[in-house]
Amino acid sequence: MTITADGLAPTISLDGVRKARGNLTQARIRWMILALVLGFAAVGGRLVQLGMAETDTTIEGQTRDAITATRPPILDRNGLEMAVDIRVPSLYAEPRRIIDIEEAVTKLRTVLPDLDEAWLRNRLTGDKGFVWLRRELTPAIEEQVMRLGIPGIDFITESKRFYPAMNEASHVLGSTNVDNQGIAGIERHMDTESIALLQELGLARGNALTPVELSIDMRVQHVLHDQLTDAMTRYQAIAAAGAMMDIYTGEIVALASLPDFNPNDPASALVKDTFNRVTSGIFEPGSIFKTVTLAGALDSGMVGITDEFDARYGVRFGRYTIDDFHGKHRILSLPEVYKYSSNIGTIRIMQAMGKDNYRAFLSRMKFDERVQFELPEMRVPSVPKELSEVGAATASFGHGLSVSPLHMLTAYAAFVNGGNYIAPTLYKRSVADAEPLYERVIQPQTSAYMRYLMRLNAISTGGSGSQMNKAAQGYRVGGKTGTAEKVVDGRYSSNKVTNFFASAFPLDNPRYALVIMVDEPKAENPQSGTTAGWNAGTLTGRVVQRVAPMLGIAPDFQGLLDQQIVPPEVRRIFPEGY
Amino acid sequence: MIRRLNIFLICTSIVMLVGVYMLKFSIEGTAAERTALQIHISEQEDDLTTLKADWAVLNQPGYVEPIVRRHEAELGVSQVQQKQFGSFADLPMRPAKPDTAAMDALFLAIDAGVDPIDAILELEGIE
Repeated sequence: MTITADGLAPTISLDGVRKARGNLTQARIRWMILALVLGFAAVGGRLVQLGMAETDTTIEGQTRDAITATRPPILDRNGLEMAVDIRVPSLYAEPRRIIDIEEAVTKLRTVLPDLDEAWLRNRLTGDKGFVWLRRELTPAIEEQVMRLGIPGIDFITESKRFYPAMNEASHVLGSTNVDNQGIAGIERHMDTESIALLQELGLARGNALTPVELSIDMRVQHVLHDQLTDAMTRYQAIAAAGAMMDIYTGEIVALASLPDFNPNDPASALVKDTFNRVTSGIFEPGSIFKTVTLAGALDSGMVGITDEFDARYGVRFGRYTIDDFHGKHRILSLPEVYKYSSNIGTIRIMQAMGKDNYRAFLSRMKFDERVQFELPEMRVPSVPKELSEVGAATASFGHGLSVSPLHMLTAYAAFVNGGNYIAPTLYKRSVADAEPLYERVIQPQTSAYMRYLMRLNAISTGGSGSQMNKAAQGYRVGGKTGTAEKVVDGRYSSNKVTNFFASAFPLDNPRYALVIMVDEPKAENPQSGTTAGWNAGTLTGRVVQRVAPMLGIAPDFQGLLDQQIVPPEVRRIFPEGY
Repeated sequence: MIRRLNIFLICTSIVMLVGVYMLKFSIEGTAAERTALQIHISEQEDDLTTLKADWAVLNQPGYVEPIVRRHEAELGVSQVQQKQFGSFADLPMRPAKPDTAAMDALFLAIDAGVDPIDAILELEGIE
């Protein structure tokens, strides 16, 4: 048998012990490397997985930061808090961590019995990571719920807005919703300015924000609110409103409108008729508009302070005759036209000025645009673009056009401050900051005439402001009444009226302008009437009597200060001045 | 030699290990303390906001006025009237020279047990 080396026969090869061990080691090293690679791959993979995973930090679509976000405190001009943040616990659940839903529902309802059972069960079922159960609770309830020891139920501290003055400054402050965002008033304005951005960035969290200082004086605001509340019952009015402004800085010192709401309970703002009548209510201003007509006419130079006007007969326009309420029916001098609130006289004065000039003056006084102001609740006034003969005649005594009380307030402020229009503001502002914003609308001389006319109306016998002056003796208040008949079923009604009193004080050196409105008042007693002097007028007197000492205005009974503001020309017709 | 070195190294590592663990636990303790303090601070801040809100309520003119009205009769206070305000100009000027004779007479009278001011007050029915 021959042995052929055809490959079939196995070659016997014997490895040495060393080589065999070497091979085994190599195999082991390979396995080790594989194991290590797998191990590192697993770790690496997990890292990538963790890196990819997006942790849900939002609470029902909102970031946690937005929920705990704070708002800056709001202070009045003297540093008294008008709005502060308080931190309150809010109850939430993590349904995926709840073990026994039925038990949780029963236990929770022992502390919060007003939670609906079906709603709560539905809320706690499921695999969600976060659901609100009840927001803005008290620490006492937090304590009780924590004692129940339900797993998956916990609290988070939220910021809640609190308004210590309750209703008093409701229309100034506005309100915030449960997510601490401003929904009305200055709160809303602040959000549109800057805070919303800060909250979004999470910067407004926890840290104390710089307080916002308003121009409001809470003492004056309280008096105004208190007196308006009193007027609502005293005259059984459907609404009352008022605002006071610093005539040199444009700062609104007080602003109130009734019926109002409690900003701590934002739902109360939804009740009908709680809108801000000072800014978003537009009304026919009635006779307080005569001041505007006279200021325009005197400023145009076509009418002099001592001119006389024929008020013997009514003014005829086609079928209509415009007459005076309690007319004197004689020739009246300009101060008398103002004092007796003569419609005829005012029409003649407007006609002497010319209706186009008059319309141009209304534009100059910004009566056909919104007042530039911080509150978002504003309405565009309704003033005809062009005035017909009749339209101009009725407009001269405040009918046939509708403006907001804030328009009247800024106009009166401009008339007595030397003739500079200054847009009102709710933020604290100094005279130096306000001066660059001045817009000259009438000459200083006209402004001096207006001060005299307004004071004349208060102290002269037969003046429509004499009711007001009784209460505010010594504070040199002067102003104009306005009784505007309301349109009921397409006709002017004499029982339903909107009454105004627009004034300024102390007129020898004016500082403040004030507009008061009483809507649909009734006579206080059988001896009194329903015209503006009886309600809006006396109300103004009572307000000034209480606020003047707070604003540092000393009473004076000498009469010398009143004599100082009588223009020398007037002395020729009224030697005694008034 | 190497054996000794190894023993030394093992001992050192054990000591180091113990040290590191002690450090770790002490840091955990400090961290827990810190968290507790933070929670405490935040709780107190929460209380502070409530107290500030309370203070703001108590300071509101709208809160104070009803209290004043309630005690008006007892305290004998009423709203200030215009005629109650005065000015510095209304005050009389100081006399050029003190009236020594009158002063002496006054002091003598007081020493003697007669108080003229008291007499005036009684006359006016103030006391």
